[in-house]
Amino acid sequence: MRALSLAVAGPLLMVLLWEAIVRSFGVPVYVLPAPSAILLKTWADLPKLLDGLSMTLFEAGVGYVIGSLIAMVLAVLFILYPRLERVALPALVAMNSVPVVAFAPVALLWFGSGPASKIAMVTMAVAFAVFVNAHQGLRSVDESAANLLRSFGAGPLRQMALLRLPAALPSIMNGLRVAVVRSMIIAIVAEMLSAYKGLGWTIFEATQQVDFLRAWAAIAVASAASMVWYGIVNWIDQRFVFWR
Amino acid sequence: MDGPADSAAPPMLQLTNLSKTFDSGHGRLVALERIGIEIGCGEFVTVVGPSGCGKSTLFNILAGLAEPDTGAKILYNGEPRMAPELLGKVAFMPQRDLLLPWRRVVDNAILPLQVEGIPRAEALKRAQPLFVEFGLSGFERHYPQQLSGGMRQRVALMRTFLFERDLTLLDEPFGALDALTRSLMQRWLLDIWQRHQRTILFITHDVDEAIFLGDRVLVMTARPGRIKLVLDVPLARPRPPEMLTSPEFIALKRQVLAAIEEESIKSFQQVAEG
Ligand SMILES: Nc1ncnc2c1ncn2[C@@H]1O[C@H](COP(=O)(O)OP(=O)(O)OP(=O)(O)O)[C@@H](O)[C@H]1O
Ligand SMILES: [Mg+2]
Repeated sequence: MRALSLAVAGPLLMVLLWEAIVRSFGVPVYVLPAPSAILLKTWADLPKLLDGLSMTLFEAGVGYVIGSLIAMVLAVLFILYPRLERVALPALVAMNSVPVVAFAPVALLWFGSGPASKIAMVTMAVAFAVFVNAHQGLRSVDESAANLLRSFGAGPLRQMALLRLPAALPSIMNGLRVAVVRSMIIAIVAEMLSAYKGLGWTIFEATQQVDFLRAWAAIAVASAASMVWYGIVNWIDQRFVFWR
Repeated sequence: MDGPADSAAPPMLQLTNLSKTFDSGHGRLVALERIGIEIGCGEFVTVVGPSGCGKSTLFNILAGLAEPDTGAKILYNGEPRMAPELLGKVAFMPQRDLLLPWRRVVDNAILPLQVEGIPRAEALKRAQPLFVEFGLSGFERHYPQQLSGGMRQRVALMRTFLFERDLTLLDEPFGALDALTRSLMQRWLLDIWQRHQRTILFITHDVDEAIFLGDRVLVMTARPGRIKLVLDVPLARPRPPEMLTSPEFIALKRQVLAAIEEESIKSFQQVAEG
C-alpha cells in the first residue's frame, strides 16, 4: 500500500510542478502546454482519441502476441537443437543490432500503410526482446538440476517442460515486460511515418495542423494505455512467479 | 537380520577397474583410479574419504551422468552396463537438495514419477502414505522455501525413495544438518531402509555416521581416489544410539580414523603443493 502511494505521489508531484512552471512563466502552448489544458483537451476529444487508441492497441497487441510466440518457439528450439542455434544465432544477433525502426521503409513497402506493416514491425521488436531474455533464461538453468532430471530418465523434452521452462519464467516475464513499452513505441512511431489511423498518426496530423494540444492529448492517452498494460503484465508476473 | 546378503546371491552392483580422468584446460586430473567394489542386494554401504577424492564423481558415474574411462566394467544386477544406460535405473540423491521452488512439497516428491509418465493422481496415491513416514504430513502443500533444512532434506529423500530402483545413491544427505537433527535422521533412515529393503550407497564425511549406518564402510584414498579400506561393521541391528560409545564401535572407529588420517594429510599436502 505504501509502495503504491509512493508510486502515485512521485508522478503527481511532477505534474503539479509542471503545471506551476507553465503557469508562472507563461510558457506558450506550442512549447509546452499545461497538464490541465492537456487533460481538458483529452476529455473533449475522447471519442476520437479512443478510436485512434483502439487501432494502436490492436497493432501493438497483435504484434506483441505473435512476437512473443515466435520468440518462445525459437528459444525452445535453439535449446533443444544446439546445432540450429550455432547456425541461426549469429544472424539473429546481427539483425537485432539494427534498430527495428530502420526496417520501417521496407515494412511499409511490403505491407502497405495499413495495420499490417505496424504489426510486422512490432512483431519483430517484441520477438527480439522476448527471445533474448527467454533464451538466456532457458540456457542458464542449474546444471545439477538438469542432471537430477536426467538421472530420473528425463529426455530433453521432459527437461524442457518440467525444469527449463518454469526455471526461465522470471527471465521470460522480464522480456514480456520490456516488450510492452517497445511495442507501443514501435506502433506509434510507425504510424507517424505512414498510416490511416492510430495515435501516432493523430500526433503527426495534429503537429502538421499546428494543433499541439491535440498532439499532447494523444501522447497522454498513449502513455496511460501503456502504463495500464505494463501494470497488467507486472501483476501476472508477481502473481505467478512468486518464487524469487 | 539385515546383514550383508548371503554369498549365494549375485551382487547387485559390481565395479571393476573403474577410473575417471578429467581433461581440463590445465591438464589431466585423475579423479578415480581402478575402483573395484561389490555391493550385495539389500546392503547399506557407506563411503568416506577426504574432500575432493572423487566420491561425487563415482556417484555421477553410477547414476549414468558421467562416463568412466575406457576399461571400466560395471555389472548392475549381473548385466554389463555402459554409463548412459544407467540413466533412469538408479535412484540418485545429489549433494544439494535441488528442490524446485515453483513446486509444492508433494509435487517435488512425485517429480520422478511424473518423469516416468505416471499420471498425477496415481503418483499422489503412491506418495500419500510416505508423508507420515518422512515426517512431512501437514506440509504437503507448502513450498520448499517455507521448510527448514532438515525438512527439505526429507523431501529430497522422499523424492529419491519414490523413484523405486534397485540401487539408491545418497550423497551426503545429512551434511548440512545440525548434530541433533542429524542423529534423529540417521535412526529414521535406518528404519526406512529396513522397512523398504533398499540397497543403499551412502557418502558422508562423518565417521560416526558411516559406522552407525553401514553394513560396510569403504574408505577412499586422497586423489586419485582408490579404495583404501573395506571394513565390515558387525554391529547388531537395530542399532541404539548408545552404540556410538560402545567399545566395539570405538574400535571400528579407530581403524577408520587411522585410514582417513593418513589420507587427509596426503590430500592436504596435495593442496599445499598446488
Ligand atoms: N566436471 C569436472 N571437470 C573437472 N574436474 C572435476 C569435475 N568434477 C569433479 N572434478 C574434480 O574431481 C575431483 C573429485 O571431485 P568430487 O566432487 O567427486 O569430490 P568429492 O569426493 O565428492 O568431494 P566432497 O567431499 O568435497 O564433496 C575434484 O578434484 C574435482 O575438482
Ligand atoms: Mg561430493
